[in-house]
Amino acid sequence: MNLLFEKAKEVTRTLLPVVILVLLLCFTIVDVETDVFIRFIVGSVLLLIGLSIFLWGVDLAMNPIGENMSHEIATSRSPYKIAILSFFLGFLITVAEPDLLILGSQIEESSGGTLNASIIVYLVSIGVGIMVSLGVFRLLRDKPPYNVFMAIAYGIFFVLAFFVSEEFLAISFDASGATTGALTTPFVLAISLGLSKVKGGKNSEENSFGLVGVMSAGPILAVMLMSIISGQKNIQGDVGEYVFAEGVFGPIIKAIPAIFMESLIALLPITILFIIFNFRKFKLSKDDLSGIIKGLLYTLLGLTIFLTAVNSGFMDMGRIIGMEIAKMSNWLLIFIGFLMGLIVVLVEPAVHVLGEQIEEVTSGHIPIKLIRMTLSIGVGIAIALSMVRIVVPEVKLWYFLLPGFATAIWLSFRTDPIFVGIAYDAGGVASGPMTATFVLAFAQGAATIIDTADVLVDGFGVIAMVAMAPVFSIMILGTAFKHKKVEYPAIEKKSIITSHLIEESNMQHDCIMVVVNRGFAERVVDVARQSGATGATIIRGRGTDEHQKVMLPIINIELQPEKEIVLLITGTHVSASIADSLLCDIQLDKDGEVVVYISPVEAMVKSLSTEQNTDDIVPAT
Amino acid sequence: MIEIKTLFFIIVNRGKANAVLRKAQECGATGGTIFFGEGTIQSKLLEKIGLTEIHKEILMISASEELCEKLHNTLSEAFMFSKRNNGIAFSIPFERWQLQASGQEERNTSKKIDASHFCIMTIVDKGRSKDCIKSARAAGAKGGTLLHGRGAGIPTDFYFPLVIEPQKDIVMIITTKDKVIPIRERIFSDLELGKAGNGIIFTLPVSRASGLFENRSEESKGVTS
Repeated sequence: MNLLFEKAKEVTRTLLPVVILVLLLCFTIVDVETDVFIRFIVGSVLLLIGLSIFLWGVDLAMNPIGENMSHEIATSRSPYKIAILSFFLGFLITVAEPDLLILGSQIEESSGGTLNASIIVYLVSIGVGIMVSLGVFRLLRDKPPYNVFMAIAYGIFFVLAFFVSEEFLAISFDASGATTGALTTPFVLAISLGLSKVKGGKNSEENSFGLVGVMSAGPILAVMLMSIISGQKNIQGDVGEYVFAEGVFGPIIKAIPAIFMESLIALLPITILFIIFNFRKFKLSKDDLSGIIKGLLYTLLGLTIFLTAVNSGFMDMGRIIGMEIAKMSNWLLIFIGFLMGLIVVLVEPAVHVLGEQIEEVTSGHIPIKLIRMTLSIGVGIAIALSMVRIVVPEVKLWYFLLPGFATAIWLSFRTDPIFVGIAYDAGGVASGPMTATFVLAFAQGAATIIDTADVLVDGFGVIAMVAMAPVFSIMILGTAFKHKKVEYPAIEKKSIITSHLIEESNMQHDCIMVVVNRGFAERVVDVARQSGATGATIIRGRGTDEHQKVMLPIINIELQPEKEIVLLITGTHVSASIADSLLCDIQLDKDGEVVVYISPVEAMVKSLSTEQNTDDIVPAT
Repeated sequence: MIEIKTLFFIIVNRGKANAVLRKAQECGATGGTIFFGEGTIQSKLLEKIGLTEIHKEILMISASEELCEKLHNTLSEAFMFSKRNNGIAFSIPFERWQLQASGQEERNTSKKIDASHFCIMTIVDKGRSKDCIKSARAAGAKGGTLLHGRGAGIPTDFYFPLVIEPQKDIVMIITTKDKVIPIRERIFSDLELGKAGNGIIFTLPVSRASGLFENRSEESKGVTS
């Protein structure tokens, strides 16, 4: 079983519920034209293919590019260079985002030309650039703490929100949803991961997340400021009469060229940047390079197929379902909205990427299932509340947004630190292309039927809600997770002082494998070095022991504590004393639950003597 | 005090490790440690289109000798290690270090190295693992598993504003006894491990392995001492 199949299987698992829900609705209460229905089926198949290829391409191309880029940023030694480089990275990927241009022209139209579309795009991109470079600085310096940083950013929003009309509040959040598109999110996630990997250190896990959250704060700030400075308060205008496409394959084929161009333009800045840097700095080997180029091609292909499928297959369907159900009953609308949010968010490409990254970084310590469930429930509630807003015009957007974010910020000081980054990221991740098309179409369909609703404003509001809900729900999960976390029982052990006699003179080697709880690996290395070890390699893992078992009730997911494995190669004459001193170290023994294994290692090849042992830790230059 | 003599390793596709661990715990294992790795694939076609990664999970269980025997039998039956691509299991004699035991008892180390299989571990800088696998293949190895780790120890360069932590790839290759030396030599010379800072290589004896496919030998029983 290889990666592509794995991805296809995963996508199928998340896509299937959506298809089933739609089919159920079609066969029972909603009357859908055959054309639209068949197009939906074709669209689902295309979506499956497209998304699998896309995710695979992201793995092949985006991750290595992100890693190389972040290495370049981190090692550039000068703060100015870091600032400029990360600013350009943020600016370029945003400028090319097709969704943002669409949003820009929408605003231009509805404001009667006072706000120019390209100015909006540039301003938002500058906002993203500034935020990304601030975020990168924060990550590298490791201060201020992430939750404080985000609290400050959102604190500014709160203040600004008083001066901004509801329409612009919605638009600003929508702009942030638009910038965190299908392509930028995986890329920024990869940069974040790469940076924290290069940086290492104690907080490397926490630092692997959060850059998407920081980045999505940029557009909010930019649009709000723009509204205040330009004095633009209201937007009117209609989303012109919607025309349903006819035919089955016609609309699909017609959509391809435009979407292909969009995807190409979105992909170009990253590609060009990479090529320039590869030419001047990285100089990757031919194999790696061809892998990345292949990956970029797959990404382009997958993205095109995916977006085509979503735009031509899912949009009309969403709209029709929204219209039909709105005619029937308000309660049903809210309920279907909830279901829709529950399952559609899992098809978002970036959700897959984030999930994979969480697994990678925590080596499975945080079960993805749990994150997905929380995301689903959060977005489900968000869509349900959006439906409430469409049905009851008195309910304003900020009734939900402000308290939601305020609680999230408050919670961010009490949750497990790693969840703070994940939560803010999840906001950007959840509001991807599926939400922007399928769910939005559903909401707009409902809004056209209900007279009191404003199609434009309510439509924008949906994305804002989807961006807020996961932040909130994952923060809650993090708080719960913290309390569920394994408490290590402190077992009293008397320390035995042993004398270490160095007798043997022949240089045989032992491999010492030390398993400790996460965070103690550095201590192990320190202790081992005092006893004569030289270098070590640390691997991240997770582990269980009977007495540490923690099961989450109801959903039956086991939480496995994180472990670190330290691999030491030492001469036989010191291995005993190293092992003893490790076991004697009280802190390691009690909190670290240290376990030491020793095995003789067959003598190394030829000339390899002990000195070269130490060379293991000399970094690549 | 149960004397732990071996570490039992199982390499399976990602997501399966928990099921394996549960089964192992039914057999009497107390717990295990799981970490992520990547498998390699050997296919010209798949390599062309870039499908070379398989995500794997490696499960490590410490066990006594009897338990190890039992685990080998039950797990390879339950998860069908005898079939291709279903995973492999092997055990390496590792001594669990106990404070009391040290000093008095003489360690009988070198006598066990007459196993039929060996595990070659190569630690190199990140990104060079591909070359390592390539040269191992050229010398007759079937495949390997990559682990990602980070180097620690000697304080490294201080860049502004951070310390760079060197990232390492660890390549794990299980092979038969007769191939150990050629593979090791080949990797050593190809990757220039003799030069300072290029990495280290070492081998561990494997006391028993199941699920390996080399020369059609379904399951090879080494000396389970």
